[in-house]
Amino acid sequence: MSKFPKLLLSLAVVGSLGGGVSFADEIKDGKKVFKKCRACHAVGKKAKNKVGPHLNDLFGRTAGALEGYKFSKAMKAAGADGLVWNNDTIDQFVTKPKKLIKKTKMAFAGLKKEKDRANLMAYLKSFDSDAGSDAAKDDKPVDKEASGEQTTKTASTTDGATQPKTASGSGGKLNIGRLALTEEVKAWDIDVRYDGQGLPPGKGTVAEGEPIFTEQCASCHGDFGEGVDRWPVLAGGQGTLEDDRPEKTIGSYWPYTSTVFDYIRRAMPFGNARSLSDDEVYALTAYVLYLNDIVEDEDFELSKENFNSIRLPNEKNFIADTRNEEPHYKPVTEPCMKDCKPEPAKLLMRARVLDVTPDGDHEGSLD
Amino acid sequence: MSLSHRDDQKEVVNVGRRRLLTSGAAGGATLLASATNALSASKPDPAITEIQDWNRYTGDGVDARPYGTPSAFEKDVVRRNVPWLTADPIASVNFTPLHELDGIITPNGLCFERHHGGIAEIDPAEHRLMINGLVERPLVFTMEDLMRFPRVNRVYFLECAANTGMEWRGAQLNGCQFTHGMIHNVMYTGVPLRLLLEEAGVKTAGKWVLPEGADASHMTRSIPLEKALDDCIVAFKMNGEALRPEQGYPVRLVVPGWEGNMWVKWLRRIEVGDQPWHHREETSKYTDLLESGKARRFTWEMDVKSVITNPSPQAPLTHGSGHTVLSGVAWSGSGKVKRVDVSIDGGRNWQTSRLDGPSLSKSMHRFYFDFDWDGSEMFLQSRAMDENGQVQPTKNQLREARGPNSVYHNNSIQTWHVKPDGSAENVEIS
Ligand code: HEC
Ligand code: HEC
Repeated sequence: MSKFPKLLLSLAVVGSLGGGVSFADEIKDGKKVFKKCRACHAVGKKAKNKVGPHLNDLFGRTAGALEGYKFSKAMKAAGADGLVWNNDTIDQFVTKPKKLIKKTKMAFAGLKKEKDRANLMAYLKSFDSDAGSDAAKDDKPVDKEASGEQTTKTASTTDGATQPKTASGSGGKLNIGRLALTEEVKAWDIDVRYDGQGLPPGKGTVAEGEPIFTEQCASCHGDFGEGVDRWPVLAGGQGTLEDDRPEKTIGSYWPYTSTVFDYIRRAMPFGNARSLSDDEVYALTAYVLYLNDIVEDEDFELSKENFNSIRLPNEKNFIADTRNEEPHYKPVTEPCMKDCKPEPAKLLMRARVLDVTPDGDHEGSLD
Repeated sequence: MSLSHRDDQKEVVNVGRRRLLTSGAAGGATLLASATNALSASKPDPAITEIQDWNRYTGDGVDARPYGTPSAFEKDVVRRNVPWLTADPIASVNFTPLHELDGIITPNGLCFERHHGGIAEIDPAEHRLMINGLVERPLVFTMEDLMRFPRVNRVYFLECAANTGMEWRGAQLNGCQFTHGMIHNVMYTGVPLRLLLEEAGVKTAGKWVLPEGADASHMTRSIPLEKALDDCIVAFKMNGEALRPEQGYPVRLVVPGWEGNMWVKWLRRIEVGDQPWHHREETSKYTDLLESGKARRFTWEMDVKSVITNPSPQAPLTHGSGHTVLSGVAWSGSGKVKRVDVSIDGGRNWQTSRLDGPSLSKSMHRFYFDFDWDGSEMFLQSRAMDENGQVQPTKNQLREARGPNSVYHNNSIQTWHVKPDGSAENVEIS
């Protein structure tokens, strides 16, 4: 309870900034902010440890002390030195994790906006059993004002962001829509094609990629791209494609380097997409190539200019869809109906995973 | 002979059929009775002779359920996932409970989910659809704009290319929800993609399109322009109501008959180009590795396929021998299903089932096989044929052609072993 006055204080600050924001609104906005954390942390009734520890009952908890989760040495040391999570310390940590705990393994750049942090705090607080609200234990925090929102929503479709009602039209046959502005196309059209079309200007070296990878990627993909737990493996597997259990990675399977650049730029790091600069993506691509022994020099610099000189070894092993050359694709007018097998069917094998629970041997992958 | 004492029964219950446990435990006597064809009951049925609460007391009024949900007794009819398949539920899949459904339409809340960056929650007022690239006029549409284009209504199945992908090496997952549940069949309302492309004016060099999602995975796939102009739809409604968030609200692409990954959800952009892009989902994923080490790419069309949904491991036969309804679904990415044959002896002899309900191109079809079960063990199989004469292959035919590492496009014939006690198991047979 001793933390409560502090919370009120931080709410008061936000209140004066934002003008009359209710507690329920804060929780709701905080839930949105939490999306930035959700790739790694869970809260709520069924919360489990993921990449990071679950964040239920965080307030009052000693840093690095949650049982059943493997913290970094740095986080454990901070806890041993007396770091306890409360409004102030969480705020500091979340603003810039590595500033508070230099060697924490939480790969998260930080939340710059004070308002986001205050909302997040209210949201996390709602999963605190001390806070007394039972509803909060569900992962749907109290949301009294939700219904009020609907009435305002319809009116907001014509707010400033949308084009004026009388827009001149597309100039197409039906004259619907409007011309896209160059800046708008530029903001969204980030795709890179297999032949390098669409690459932005920029460059980065293996050596520059390494610390970014260690900080932002290794928590899931492993320091050497070997994949932590079930997270995707990014390196290795060369020469295994004809094996009984092939390992498909960038080095062993992917046909084009451009795909690495395009995918990292559009989707990684998981939970914080589109946060990397173009130079960082060049550096990370170079580093991933290095992890796969495609380039061997740490000073190797990948750039728009030399991009197409880097070919992946498996490029030539992709072929067109030749399914209908397989014998069973021959069209049939009347399939066999009687005595189609010489002998009665014999049972050969039963479902290996009877109750659909994990079983060491058959860890599958969805691909 | 309460079913619930059996070991394999526990496993069925684990998968979520609590109702079976109830009916098994309470209905041991009934089960025997029906097995001997005893038609008259010895004691009056209290369900008839006693006045039930719902016969007497009034229930909820019209203001109690502004958006209706299923009966509380249907609480086990849910999508399920297999946690160990992926590292994180945010980039994962759950499965449609096919064994609980009938007809051809999948209810919106039960359509399987597959996403790569979680469910994007998008305010439609903030959503835009851009068309750019090799077009006369790069355009931006709001949702309101999209509603001004002529609309169509079409029923199509969406099957993930990895459906049945766990079964390449042998029987693995014990339930048709898990072996075949990465499919749903929905009526879409939307605008033909052709109309949007015409509005922008595709340049003659344009040969491919790249749809892109607005979610955190920014999903992209290359689709040949020919397909885009043929039957693709930019859809905003499913089964009459707005798309569900997990199905791409407010707008998604519909690519009839082709693998589900191409049906980009939360669609925000379509670029026209002269060559394919070879992005991650068409190189690293959704390419089919053969035994030779070569891999097929751009294997878009979903082959003819069927599965018996009832009985199946999660839906055993509880009534004993006697007249029964075997039921299942069939579909083909190249057109209509013409016929489904059913075998109860593991593919030695076949009988043609009865297709019932609308037969639409690239849509699920429902089949029934009504027969007298003599109470002996069965190896159930179904074999679909489409209007182009394509027939569903056996598991061995597929393995011989491709080896065990293709992951995708497994349309082989499924076998359920039904035992005399009515329980069913996913098996492989000679
Ligand atoms: C990329 C994954 C990732 C993201 C994103 C992330 N975290 Fe973390 N977080 C971690 C890891 C890993 C740890 C453990 C750190 C250590 O042991 O050094 C951690 C630890 C923490 C802790 C300390 C918990 C304890 O018991 O000591 C807090 C608090 C925390 N994170 C909050 C947040 C919040 C709030 C966000 C979102 C704004 C966030 N994290 C985003 C991975 C992440
Ligand atoms: C929080 C965990 C996490 C972090 C951190 C992360 N990734 Fe990923 N990464 C994933 C997941 C999950 C996928 C697969 C997503 C899917 O299923 O679509 C993935 C996929 C990839 C792939 C494609 C793998 C394949 O075989 O198709 C590449 C390349 C990749 N990540 C690179 C990176 C890079 C570079 C970084 C750092 C900038 C990074 N990732 C950070 C979780 C993570």
